[in-house]
Amino acid sequence: MVGMSLLRTAAAFTARLNPLKRTCQSSNLLSRTVARSEQVVVRYGSHGKRMFIIKPTDFYDRRFLHLLKYYILLAGIPVAALVTFVNIFIGESELAEIPEGYEPEHWEYYKHPITRWIARTFYDSPVKDYEKMMALIQMEAEKAEMSQWDSHMPPGFHPKYLKLCSEDEQSFYRFGTTWGQLQLEVRRHMREKGDGPWFQIQTLDKNLIDHSPKSSPDN
Amino acid sequence: MPKDHDKDVYPEPPSRTPVEDRQSSLPNPALILSKLFYYSVDLPVTTFRGIQSGKKSHYYHQKFRRVPELTQCQEGDYVCYYEAEMQWRRDYKVDQEIVKVIQERLRACQQREGPSYSQNCYKELQQFEQVSKAFQSRYGDLGAYASARKCLMKQKERMMAEQHAFATSST
Repeated sequence: MVGMSLLRTAAAFTARLNPLKRTCQSSNLLSRTVARSEQVVVRYGSHGKRMFIIKPTDFYDRRFLHLLKYYILLAGIPVAALVTFVNIFIGESELAEIPEGYEPEHWEYYKHPITRWIARTFYDSPVKDYEKMMALIQMEAEKAEMSQWDSHMPPGFHPKYLKLCSEDEQSFYRFGTTWGQLQLEVRRHMREKGDGPWFQIQTLDKNLIDHSPKSSPDN
Repeated sequence: MPKDHDKDVYPEPPSRTPVEDRQSSLPNPALILSKLFYYSVDLPVTTFRGIQSGKKSHYYHQKFRRVPELTQCQEGDYVCYYEAEMQWRRDYKVDQEIVKVIQERLRACQQREGPSYSQNCYKELQQFEQVSKAFQSRYGDLGAYASARKCLMKQKERMMAEQHAFATSST
């Protein structure tokens, strides 16, 4: 044990005194000082030595962020400026009681000037939308009622439908129609006033079709 | 500042500044943020309000006429159904806003009173409980596709349950 440690110290000593790796040859062998070389501390006028730092590319990331900022700000800055100027120079409306006998326009129910402008320029008034919806519902209800006639009541006996016809037509329809004739009449009315692509695409009069045999098929 | 709503109808809670009882030496962040907002936004806006053009525009609250409800519509009168449905939706929105106002009052009261709110805000608590129970029983689990018909059916179920409970309790 003691011999091992002695051997180890001897090996370390000889390694240090390796003639191949000796930095100092002569006088300061055992004192083991490093010779003072002629290097001085370099003082840069710039931010230090320029290093070529090797790292993975951030070109694509930076390009993406740059383009993102560009396209967002391209529309964002004008919109922000517009909204700021509207808020500062035009300002919001004030709440007031509806004066007697005055019907406010539909845009006068909103506070912000831009909302009012949008409601005035682009949107229909909610009253008009309401009426449009009610008109649609009315028409659909009438169509549903008309389609129920086939199953419920015999033809020619519907007061609502009779109102649409003239006097002699009414008498015709009261006595002596068949289901088929009534169907054709309904289809005629639907073509004039109905909905859906089958009824609204205008076609030529079927009587113009020439049914006589032709010399070639595509004539 | 343009005024928003009638303060008599929806009164804001009375502004009492209670004696501050700070128990920590940290600065109050709410105070810091409010002061920041005041100096950065509020002050410039109020000083520059003179720039605005002279003529003031007004906006109004729309008043809707009452139309016959779903129970008063003839069967198959789809237009009446539509009008009743729209009226029900408007009433639903109004009720939601009422609940929000009551909630806001309770919240303000709790913030003012601090730890002793359950004793000091008793009125607001009772009001909130009453209003939210009523809202729940009428519009409670109707869901996102709520409609006047579903609400009516829910009312019917409620009345049937009441009848049933009355009948079983009396026998």
